[in-house]
Amino acid sequence: MDITGIPFFLAVSFGGAFLAYLMNFAHRFLRNAVVLLTVSASAALLFWLGDETFSMEMGGFVLTLGKTPYSLFFAGIVALLAVPTVLFSFTYMAKEERPAMYYLNLLITIAAMYGILFSLDLLSLFIFWEIMTWSSFLLTIHKGGNATKAGVKYFLYSAAGAYAILFSVVILYNMSGSLLIEDVARSFVLQNPLMQLMLAGTLLFGFSVKAGLMPMHGWAPDAYAESPAPFTALFSGALSKMGIFGMGMVLYQIFLQSPFSLPVRELLAWAGGITSALATLRAIQQTDAKRLLAYSSVAQLGYIVMGLALGTPLSMMAALFITLLHGVFKAMLFFAVGAVYFRTGLTDLNELRGLIRRMPVSFLTVLMAIISLANIPPLGGFVGKWLLYESLIQSDHYFLVIVAFFSSTASFLYVYRLIFSIFLGQEEKEFEHVKEVPFLTMQLPMLALAAVTFITGIFPGIVLAPISSALTYLGFPIQHDMWSMSMLFNEWGNRMNLLAMISVIGTVFLTGFTILYFYRMRRTRYVTTKDIHTSGEVPTENENLTYAINFYQPFERAAHPVLSKSIRAWIDWIGRSVSELGDFLRHIYTGDGQTYAWYVVLFLTFMLAAGSWIL
Amino acid sequence: METLKTISGYFATIGVAFTVGFLFMGFRRILTARVQNRVGPPIYQNLLDIIKLWSKESAINHGLMQHMGPAFSITASVTTLMFIPVLRDGNWFQNFSFEGDLIFLLYIMVFGQLGMALGAGQTGNPNSAIGVSRGLSQIVGYEIPFVLALTALMVYHETTSLHEIMAAQDSIGGWNIFVNPLAFVAGIIAFLGMTHYTPFDVPFAPAELASGPPSEFGGKYLGMMMTSGSIFAFAKLTLFVNLFLGGASNLLELLVKALALYLIPVIIGIVTPRFRTEQAILFFWKWPTIIGILSILWVVWMR
Repeated sequence: MDITGIPFFLAVSFGGAFLAYLMNFAHRFLRNAVVLLTVSASAALLFWLGDETFSMEMGGFVLTLGKTPYSLFFAGIVALLAVPTVLFSFTYMAKEERPAMYYLNLLITIAAMYGILFSLDLLSLFIFWEIMTWSSFLLTIHKGGNATKAGVKYFLYSAAGAYAILFSVVILYNMSGSLLIEDVARSFVLQNPLMQLMLAGTLLFGFSVKAGLMPMHGWAPDAYAESPAPFTALFSGALSKMGIFGMGMVLYQIFLQSPFSLPVRELLAWAGGITSALATLRAIQQTDAKRLLAYSSVAQLGYIVMGLALGTPLSMMAALFITLLHGVFKAMLFFAVGAVYFRTGLTDLNELRGLIRRMPVSFLTVLMAIISLANIPPLGGFVGKWLLYESLIQSDHYFLVIVAFFSSTASFLYVYRLIFSIFLGQEEKEFEHVKEVPFLTMQLPMLALAAVTFITGIFPGIVLAPISSALTYLGFPIQHDMWSMSMLFNEWGNRMNLLAMISVIGTVFLTGFTILYFYRMRRTRYVTTKDIHTSGEVPTENENLTYAINFYQPFERAAHPVLSKSIRAWIDWIGRSVSELGDFLRHIYTGDGQTYAWYVVLFLTFMLAAGSWIL
Repeated sequence: METLKTISGYFATIGVAFTVGFLFMGFRRILTARVQNRVGPPIYQNLLDIIKLWSKESAINHGLMQHMGPAFSITASVTTLMFIPVLRDGNWFQNFSFEGDLIFLLYIMVFGQLGMALGAGQTGNPNSAIGVSRGLSQIVGYEIPFVLALTALMVYHETTSLHEIMAAQDSIGGWNIFVNPLAFVAGIIAFLGMTHYTPFDVPFAPAELASGPPSEFGGKYLGMMMTSGSIFAFAKLTLFVNLFLGGASNLLELLVKALALYLIPVIIGIVTPRFRTEQAILFFWKWPTIIGILSILWVVWMR
């Protein structure tokens, strides 16, 4: 077998999963070695992947695999997050039950994502899509208990999306007689516009379920909150981006020529904007760290959809850049929250506090990640948002700018609450013995990703190069004057010099910090957080000085008209009604033979009575 | 030689910004005093305060993040200043203004407040936490009209560069305050929120929160924060002069225009009581936002 071919690549990815499962019976170190080797081997093989496509006939259908620059970019994201994820899992999962099952599903999920990306036809895409859904479902319910409920919810949403995709795939196959995406695209333009609209609509619906676009986001908060933390990082960082991959493919490879393309994209852009604003407001309300991050993921995916739907070269660059960056910083945040959970067993923001001196590396990780998430220069998040805002303004979407900017500013609120509640504020006796997580398996993945946010903030060209080739493949005219290694340009010819930015920020910060640190802190002595200005009153040992519960009460009061409504509550209400209907039906279908016998007797009596009456 | 000139230019800018900043703040103290029938401190009182604070010794600290807070704050102030053209033309006081644009300024301007919030968080003082909660909420309020006003200007001039916006306002009739007065109103109301003077001083709320976020900071920390505050005040005023009043060709012109703008929040601040947080947020989301939206519609209609 050719080792630069895609079959070999997928064989390694899937084979490693089963090998790791078998190795579990030998020794856990052996298993871990296989797991790590599998993901790093597939990450390395990405670099040597050959250009040839590979076809295989199965049951009368031809499955075609091959790489495109577009899929390679997404595969890069998967690989970038997969390695830290398994590394982080090693220690994290040592405490949890059924690790063998966890690694099997994790590796299958990763392999299935590669499969989706390297599918050139719709059937193999669908097959891998279902494998990914199944294995990620099993990972979601790994903890049992509440997780099962969250998992079933995730699965139901995914199933709805998958059927929508399957529906379109079948019709598209009937229309074009081929499953290859390029053939489908060619015959798609010949269909009548309404048919095109319906097919693209169902496909987009199916993919947007995975991306968690409102109102199809209902699964995300529960599934992200209940799944094991290292997997959640991959779940939110990479798996949900498969939806974005699919939407990009539908919008620009299949649907672009349709007369409905522009209105649909406009609608999608607004859906993305509203998603980001509403999900941000929800995130501000959350008291559980993982749920907060879950809503934040929904919001960030909203930005990506916005950029994707606008369809200008600059906005596409923004969308793909945020896709990568969101993966990186959200993985850091889920890792750090996982690290805190690993040491304290808590994710509740009302209970956690003051861990900064106990877990400084986790704190640094969260700090870097939230600076990136809040789009503040000089980290990578800023570059993505800069591109997005420029493209929004220049494509005349003025009100979308306001929506996007609102959610971006409001995100300061929840990121501050996250870092404040966990790491800052009063230090408590309860957490006195908490230690920082181990270096190699937990700190290293976090720090490595933190380095990525820093480097991409100064040299975004590293990421913009593969993005340009991906966009060129999708048919966008990307000129060389649109970006350079550390310089960004908009369509009006204005520029942003990131090297100048980092030199100013770096110089001033280092000067200021040096003055305060070496000149001051060395001469001062550390005092506890009880030793503070309290207007002359001396707080006793057990006095509670924490302000963490209901942290944004004033803001929630102001935003109450929006916050008091909920889409999820409506959908949950439908769910509850169905389940109540089921309960009612249980009174009839009791499962007891005696009752059924009575029904038969009653029915016969009724028939006899009715018959005799009619006759 | 050229490098030396450039570097001395940076320091000159910071020096001018600092001087003008503390003089303006001293002026505000005098004006407030006169309204309250007091004599008030001399105009250079803030400089004396800063010198005093810098010469003080601190004995205690609450950890590393507390040190980083004021450093973040001064980083944001100086970086904002460096990326704003102080004068319309000429080689002096341009610094890095050709290297960044308005979107960058929007974000770097909030960097200091977030950094300050982190520093205040580590002290564990409940007053700081309450102040931060209020302050961050208020940012979400006033950033909306501010962005609306900026968007109106950026769309009208088809640029995100401050230099080009300034260059387009070549005569008094061309100043954006006259070309798009609605954007100016939205922007200046947002500016009221940014200054944190009454009626929008609830995050610091003297006499209620023991000055809020900075309550655990004294001595050199407070000195650095006041220095940063003076520089930031000048940077913001210069930004608004550049955006709406056509910039300035020399320092004197800049001073007059900046003072005129500065009087608006000061005079409103002297005579108004304090908004609660949710009142402030709802205020910003109501009238200034409507005016901002109208200003964008006006620009779209004019094009």
